[in-house]
Amino acid sequence: MNFRIYLLFFWAALLFASCQKVYESVPLGQQVTPDLAFDPRDSLGKNAMTYLLTTYQQVLINEHNRINGDYLDAASDDAVSSASGIPSVQAMATGAYTATNTNADDEWSHHYAGIRNATVFINNINVVPMIEKLPNGQPARSAYRSEARFLRAWLYFELLKRYGGVPLLGDSVRQLTDNIQLPRNSFEECVNYIVSECDNIKDSLRTAAMVNGTTYGRITRGAAMALKTEVLLFAASPLYNGGNIDNGNPLTGYASYDVNRWKLAADAAKDLINTGDYSLMPSFGDIFVKQAAPVGPNTETIFWMQVGINNDVEKNNAPVGFTSAGGKGATSPTQELVDAFPTDSGRSITDPASGYDPDHPYDHRDPRMSLTVFYNGSLWLNRAVQIYDGGLDKPGGAVQQTKTGYYMRKFMGPFESVSANPPGYSSMVHDFIYFRYAGVLLAYAEATNEYSGPSADVYNVLYALRQRAGIFPGSDNSYGLKQGMTQEEMRAVIRNERRVELAFETHRYWDLRRWKIAGQQYNTAPLSGMDIQLSSSGQLFYNPISVLKTVFRDPQMYFYPIPYNEVVRDPQMKQNPQW
Amino acid sequence: MKKILFLFFLAGVLPALLWAQQGQGRVVTGIVKDANGPLSGATVMEKGRPANTVAADENGKFRIVLHDGTNTLVISYLNYQKQELPIKKNARDVEVVLQQSTAGMDEAIVVGFGKKKRITNTGAVSSINADEIRDIPTSSVQNALTGKMPGFITVQRSGQPGKDASDYFIRGVSSLNPDGNKPLIVVDDIEYTYDQLSQINVNEIESISILKDASTTAIYGIKGANGVLVVTTRRGTAGKPHFNVRGEVGGQAPVRTPQFLDSYHTAVLVNEAYTNDGITPLFSQNDLDLFKSGADPYGHPNVNWYKEIMKPYSLQANANLDISGGSQAVKYFVSGGAFTQNGSIRNFSTNSDGVNSNYFYKRYNVRTNLDVQATKNLSLRLDATARFMDINQPYSVNVIGEIYDFSRIHPYSAPFINPNGSWAYAFDTQSQEPTINSRLATQGYTRNRRTDFNVLMGFTEKLDDITRGLSLIGRVAFASVQQNSLTLFRPVPPSYHFDPKDSTYHLNTGVNGGGYTYNTYRTLGNTDLDNQRTNIQIYLNYERVFNADHHVTGLLLWNQESYRVDMDGAAGVTGAAPSKFRGYSLKAGYDYKQKYLIDFNAAINGSDRFQAKKRNGIFPAIGIGWNLAKERFFAKLIPAANLFKLRGTYGVVGSDVAFGNQYLYNQVYNQGGGYSFGQNQQPVGTIYEGALGNDNVTWEKAKKWDAGLDMNLFGDRISFSGDYFHEYRYDQLVTRQDIPEILGVGLSPGNVGITINRGVEGTITYQDKVGEIRYSAGLVFTYAQNKILYMAEASPRYPWLAVTGHPINQPFGYTWLGFYSPSDVTDTKVAKPVGYTVQAGDLKYKDVNGDGVIDQNDITAIGKPNLPSLTMDMPLKIGYKGLDISVLFQGAFGYSLGLKGNAIEPFQSQFQPIDERRWTPATAASAEFPRLTSNPTTINSPSSYYSNFWLINAHYIRMKTVEISYILPRGWLPLRFNNGRLYCSAYNLLTWSNVSKKYQQDPEVASNTAGDAYLAQRVVTIGLQVGL
Repeated sequence: MNFRIYLLFFWAALLFASCQKVYESVPLGQQVTPDLAFDPRDSLGKNAMTYLLTTYQQVLINEHNRINGDYLDAASDDAVSSASGIPSVQAMATGAYTATNTNADDEWSHHYAGIRNATVFINNINVVPMIEKLPNGQPARSAYRSEARFLRAWLYFELLKRYGGVPLLGDSVRQLTDNIQLPRNSFEECVNYIVSECDNIKDSLRTAAMVNGTTYGRITRGAAMALKTEVLLFAASPLYNGGNIDNGNPLTGYASYDVNRWKLAADAAKDLINTGDYSLMPSFGDIFVKQAAPVGPNTETIFWMQVGINNDVEKNNAPVGFTSAGGKGATSPTQELVDAFPTDSGRSITDPASGYDPDHPYDHRDPRMSLTVFYNGSLWLNRAVQIYDGGLDKPGGAVQQTKTGYYMRKFMGPFESVSANPPGYSSMVHDFIYFRYAGVLLAYAEATNEYSGPSADVYNVLYALRQRAGIFPGSDNSYGLKQGMTQEEMRAVIRNERRVELAFETHRYWDLRRWKIAGQQYNTAPLSGMDIQLSSSGQLFYNPISVLKTVFRDPQMYFYPIPYNEVVRDPQMKQNPQW
Repeated sequence: MKKILFLFFLAGVLPALLWAQQGQGRVVTGIVKDANGPLSGATVMEKGRPANTVAADENGKFRIVLHDGTNTLVISYLNYQKQELPIKKNARDVEVVLQQSTAGMDEAIVVGFGKKKRITNTGAVSSINADEIRDIPTSSVQNALTGKMPGFITVQRSGQPGKDASDYFIRGVSSLNPDGNKPLIVVDDIEYTYDQLSQINVNEIESISILKDASTTAIYGIKGANGVLVVTTRRGTAGKPHFNVRGEVGGQAPVRTPQFLDSYHTAVLVNEAYTNDGITPLFSQNDLDLFKSGADPYGHPNVNWYKEIMKPYSLQANANLDISGGSQAVKYFVSGGAFTQNGSIRNFSTNSDGVNSNYFYKRYNVRTNLDVQATKNLSLRLDATARFMDINQPYSVNVIGEIYDFSRIHPYSAPFINPNGSWAYAFDTQSQEPTINSRLATQGYTRNRRTDFNVLMGFTEKLDDITRGLSLIGRVAFASVQQNSLTLFRPVPPSYHFDPKDSTYHLNTGVNGGGYTYNTYRTLGNTDLDNQRTNIQIYLNYERVFNADHHVTGLLLWNQESYRVDMDGAAGVTGAAPSKFRGYSLKAGYDYKQKYLIDFNAAINGSDRFQAKKRNGIFPAIGIGWNLAKERFFAKLIPAANLFKLRGTYGVVGSDVAFGNQYLYNQVYNQGGGYSFGQNQQPVGTIYEGALGNDNVTWEKAKKWDAGLDMNLFGDRISFSGDYFHEYRYDQLVTRQDIPEILGVGLSPGNVGITINRGVEGTITYQDKVGEIRYSAGLVFTYAQNKILYMAEASPRYPWLAVTGHPINQPFGYTWLGFYSPSDVTDTKVAKPVGYTVQAGDLKYKDVNGDGVIDQNDITAIGKPNLPSLTMDMPLKIGYKGLDISVLFQGAFGYSLGLKGNAIEPFQSQFQPIDERRWTPATAASAEFPRLTSNPTTINSPSSYYSNFWLINAHYIRMKTVEISYILPRGWLPLRFNNGRLYCSAYNLLTWSNVSKKYQQDPEVASNTAGDAYLAQRVVTIGLQVGL
């Protein structure tokens, strides 16, 4: 019986011991509670700032080779993908997507995740007693809150481009128990919301000049003003303003045309221009590899993503013959893009006075061309690029290589001649620029031309861009531009200027849509390229070839389908026309 | 070589040493008879020492040497009741008369926290003795259990040494939660993880039971919903030490060797595909001629990479030693085992650095089970076991996957080795990697070393002085697992392209080029797994028979567990809070004359994954049984029935398995990778909102019904046991599918899913003997069919897109109609895919919604899930005297298998014989494969357009195990061994399957994969077991 007592004692002791807490009951090492993220005792706002970083990370997308290895513009008429099979951008350019099997640019759920994230920050940052001040004495906390509001507005704009009017969630962060089955807001409501957000936040943000080496990369006043300009430019564009594809459907545009929408866009651009914060860079090539002022010399960038300092762009897109430096040649620019570049006299190559020579098609062209595409004979890493059949950069066989006879050159560092042996790349700043001053100028020119015709202001924008590009002013200082153009003629010139100035910066793809010319551009003729044969005597023969027959189901494809799952989950979610 | 020496040591030297210390035994002779005279072939065993077994000769006579104090013989024979015979002190000649048996009815089977006689059991339990599976040459217990027990379904996905353990399910699947179908594993009443089971040495196991219905699993409460696998280990009995040694050596070879086309045939097909695609053919006629003649082995190589890399055979060996015995006060069972399984890569190492990059698996098991009778009423136990394992695999090379992968290497990519002995590389591929053999030879290995350590202390205190039949049992168990990985690695070796035209060598300067020189080896160590489990159980047990007729049992249990994961590399966990579990269980049983049976089981337990108020649940179950054969009226009605028992159970059990956040109710913010500000762009970590917490979430529940019949007929020649089961699984922890994504954040699982799972299972055995030949034949079958009733799915545009209403993991895809004919291609009425121009010979699919377009709206449920819904196994046994032969055929039916990527798609997979039977205009009528294309995203690709052309309704029949054993006559045994057995066993010996019509893969590989898992192996071993 004694044993029983000992035993009882032992077990009692054991039980007592096992009831002691050895480990914390909440897994502190892994998870952060909401209180910790927005800490009412943290005057530095350390965790809250970390949270805001997430918002940036979720919202801003690196557009370099984004669509499964390709630029968005490889789904426009400017380029095709070099990859074999049916790359995602090709599926987009040939209409191979449905509401269930959406295209690779479908950002619905990603963007709504970002919107929620930003809203959580906007709603909670005010509990954090941050003491930081901006150089102008205003509280930095308001600037941070406005950054999140900007990022949210930017996402709504990105959604608006793709889907038309989308549900606006305002400042509510919904829980499972809330009603989540919401209807879409109209296109007009979305535009007004984004514009009012931009107006409300612009004065609390840093100006470009207030940025320093630590806060470099944050959203500035210029970004808010540029977003407003861009949204108003879209709103005034033919697809929405008078060209609604589904007559009377408020989700896909306005009910009727109103010329004042162009004025609003022009005014917004003018406001930004008048701040004087930005100016054109002297060199076109430097824009994409230099950091923005005041940290760097780049006076042109307004809103960008901090991608980092690397050489991914070069490795992914440079011609395939540079194997040791790693050239995958992912992007094949089309002949159509190349032909859009004028000669160095500023005249279109179809103009007999331009000086264009079909036997030497790449000579005497707009200098932006050689900074935008690689063509046969371009200099790169100490040698001439060989894009003739059997050349180093077009070897034939199954290896990924250009389909058009061109490779993309834009965004790359100046690696024409390097001293390293074997020739290779050094790391360059490859931040992706969403808005730059040249784009604002072009928006101003376009809106002004549409509202009041080709005034001197419009001409001056084109002169400035062409001068910077390195086009010869000519004896009359007209940079090859015809004087006294009609509104239609000027419209064509501005559209072409946008195409060559902003190539691969994701503008062309959307411009085709907002101008409502996608049906015409995608369906009239196949995209083409150049097949080059090198004769044994060293002579080059240029043969245009068809590369891809693009398909645009007009007008269905002007808007992306709302993802099928979203429509079945939310009975109030109206699908876009014809999807 | 070392391991072979070790085996010799174990098998030979050690017993000899031990023998030297042995005392004299006592010789007993005798005769075994039944009512008709002497019986030959009966086995005579010394009680408590299974290894000390002899067989009666043709005249029924036997001779056995007894060693320990029990002085009892156990005589058993098929169809006869097992009989125990105490041997009096001076008796030398004994006579045994065996009675025909009611097969195994009095045998005790292990259930949760105790044992139960078969005849009084009401629940659905299947059980086997481990000696039935001990000879099967596989490292994993679950592989050996295949086909042995109804309701136990296994699928062996891979054959990689150390990772070849089957997935296993009890009565199929019934939870939508992917991890929610894993049975609970209990070894000596202590919980093991799913993968730990495969590491147990079968030699240490006494018996294995599976508990299938609510009545038997209810005491496990919140963990019992998926069934329970109960393992008990061997223990010692009083007596002199008893030694038993087993050694096995054998070979493994792939169940199926894949065949690939050679360079010439591949090149012809590549040219054809390019022509189909409108691309200039890659090879000229001259190239083709050179491939065909082989006259230019370096310019036009022809390498069968499979044959060059893989060996046809590899070694497997196993050795075990166990010692048991003891006195009345202390009993022990001590066992040690070593298992080794080699990989099937050839040795390419060119130097003697000793780097072994081949696959291999080595395992060492030790176990000591001690029982101490401390006082008359108090007994103590101490079990300690440890397992040490090494799993090795090559660094950065998935060998089979690479051999299959056409995009990485072609048969004509490179010579096996350059003429000057340098390494070649896949010159004509995108990645330009050095050849597989060069990387295997030079890049190093990844080695996982795992150490499991378990210790269990317990006591049993008889409380007969309080009331007779009552005892108090307590246990503390601790288990820890630590797994470290050591990677010895270096970058790719230098490789060269040899140009035979001018006999020059060109260094590989591509992204995978290795430079001019070898790099030095570097090492990297990681802790992959570090966890500890502590378990405390105390229970009161009661068992008593009143007035010889009323049998009462009872159990009251308190069980607490803490499981702490400090590190889990795969799950990305470092330093989690322990998950805790506490439960109370109750068991009460009563039977009257073993005729009327009733059992009640219940558990109250909880899990800290849920809110406090949602934490604890009650899981009750009831079982009733009626032994009709014991009723007089029934005996008159059906006199042939020796046993006829009806039983039925109903109950509720639960499951707390859920993915995501450990505390499902908690709203948390996670930390992750960053965005960077500032001029220098240093990334900073981020904080973001995690999945929404859910306060209302609670455990998953299952209502289970079971009805069973146990029946023995005609003097037990025919025995049958069968069950019908029905399970309603609800409140399943899965994520809602009907929440719009504009919510913008992930969801924790909620209690939404509802499924049912129904089926039948059973065993029929016929056993008899003709003269001295005894034989038996059986059928073990399981049929389980589940259906999703609700999963909060958004209602789809077309009803055929709905997942609800189909079985769990139902595949969806297109319906194959044939090949597009040339007229179909131009006919606008024939539906075509969007964004791609079809050509004649492409796969033609059904336009289900009739919109003229083949798109995602045209997919429907096709085929069946990948897990067999019907398994049928046929054990056959025949014996004559000491010779026994048994064969197990395993059949799996009612499942679908479809593979993609490297397994089958041209230009992703190496070209295979089936590609020769592709569609061409000439072979349109007999084609078995679509036209060839180098475009990977056409309608012909199963990755893009999954269909029932690719998904086949599969079945297979395997000769799963074959065992031939012979009990060596005593006179043959050297030294003083008194028993010996020679046996030869085979595993996965023969396979018949319809899968091979399309795929060159094992029928058990996982569906929807590239099918490039390590090849399943067949194993043949020869073993010797001796004891004294």
